[in-house]
Amino acid sequence: MNSAEELKYLLPNSVISVGVQTNKPLAVIRKEDLLTVAGKVKEMGFDSLSVITGVDRLDRIEVIYNLFSYKKKQNLALKVILDHKSPEVDSVTSIWKVADWLERETYDLVGVKFNGHPNLKRILLPEGWIGHPLMKDYDMSIEQFVTIGEDGEDIVSTDGSNLLRRR
Amino acid sequence: MDPVTIDTTKIRITKRKPETALEKLEDTGLINTLLAAKDREGFILLTTVDQAINWGRLSSLWPVTSGLACCAIEMMATSMAHHDIARFGMEVFRASPRQSDLMFVAGTVTKRMAPRVKQLYEMMAEPKWVISVGSCANTGGPYHESYCVLKGVDNIIPVDVYIPGCPPRPEAWLYGIIQLREKIKNEGYGAKWGLNK
Repeated sequence: MNSAEELKYLLPNSVISVGVQTNKPLAVIRKEDLLTVAGKVKEMGFDSLSVITGVDRLDRIEVIYNLFSYKKKQNLALKVILDHKSPEVDSVTSIWKVADWLERETYDLVGVKFNGHPNLKRILLPEGWIGHPLMKDYDMSIEQFVTIGEDGEDIVSTDGSNLLRRR
Repeated sequence: MDPVTIDTTKIRITKRKPETALEKLEDTGLINTLLAAKDREGFILLTTVDQAINWGRLSSLWPVTSGLACCAIEMMATSMAHHDIARFGMEVFRASPRQSDLMFVAGTVTKRMAPRVKQLYEMMAEPKWVISVGSCANTGGPYHESYCVLKGVDNIIPVDVYIPGCPPRPEAWLYGIIQLREKIKNEGYGAKWGLNK
């Protein structure tokens, strides 16, 4: 019995399906029960949240939590499936501290809103950037430029005349 | 023992090794209209102002210490003992743009880094030169379709020499540096300010 099947045995109502993704056990879970499942998973020994991935599947958005247990030397992936128009899910920062920056990155690039996050703002792109670039419907026709403001902050604009060289 | 016969046709007259400072200067080939006249007291050196100044500039190009991505690793390799850009008087990577003549744009120029690169260039004192290194800095390279990468650093600052490669090997760097030296050698004084042309 791998870790995903063990989770299915412990919480049969929260786990929708169990599978394998890139040779790692994967459990698809209901998004309402994410915090319950995450707490249970941490009790099982999965103390490290390696990375949070957001995927745009056109009709839905998937958020995948890749976990690792340093005690058992095992992997586990949790997947929640979110609505494409307004992707929202509970934040797991109360369970794994590292989720703070990982969730900010997922919010920045895919636009998933994490409820209960202490500081949900962009982490890689500057504030004011139009759109979330890893979404399939991101508008590539708008070219955006960054300039430095008076206080050293980043200013995003579609007008690059301050930055670009006149030729 | 048989007497050794010497084929006189194979003997070449080698150039005499330069000894005086004047001969050494002529030997570099940098100042080619060098004229020297023997005066009663000493030497009088005649050359053009352009050539003397250009010789001084290209013999001690000081690059600014800045690297943006993996091309900077090759920049480190170029500056190390094996490839040794100290031969060109360039080993002094300055930590301040105020003391630098040359900027290597070594790596991917992202949209967020672009105003910083431009600011760094503007902080350098004239005369200044820019070498754009690698596909990313030249055209955007593999990130040409990306939302966050500038499509060529020449969109924001003027570039003198482009070195292709991903990343270019140190030999390519040395070739690019030699091309820049050729360019500086042919520059007229004040050409950048439009006085000569």
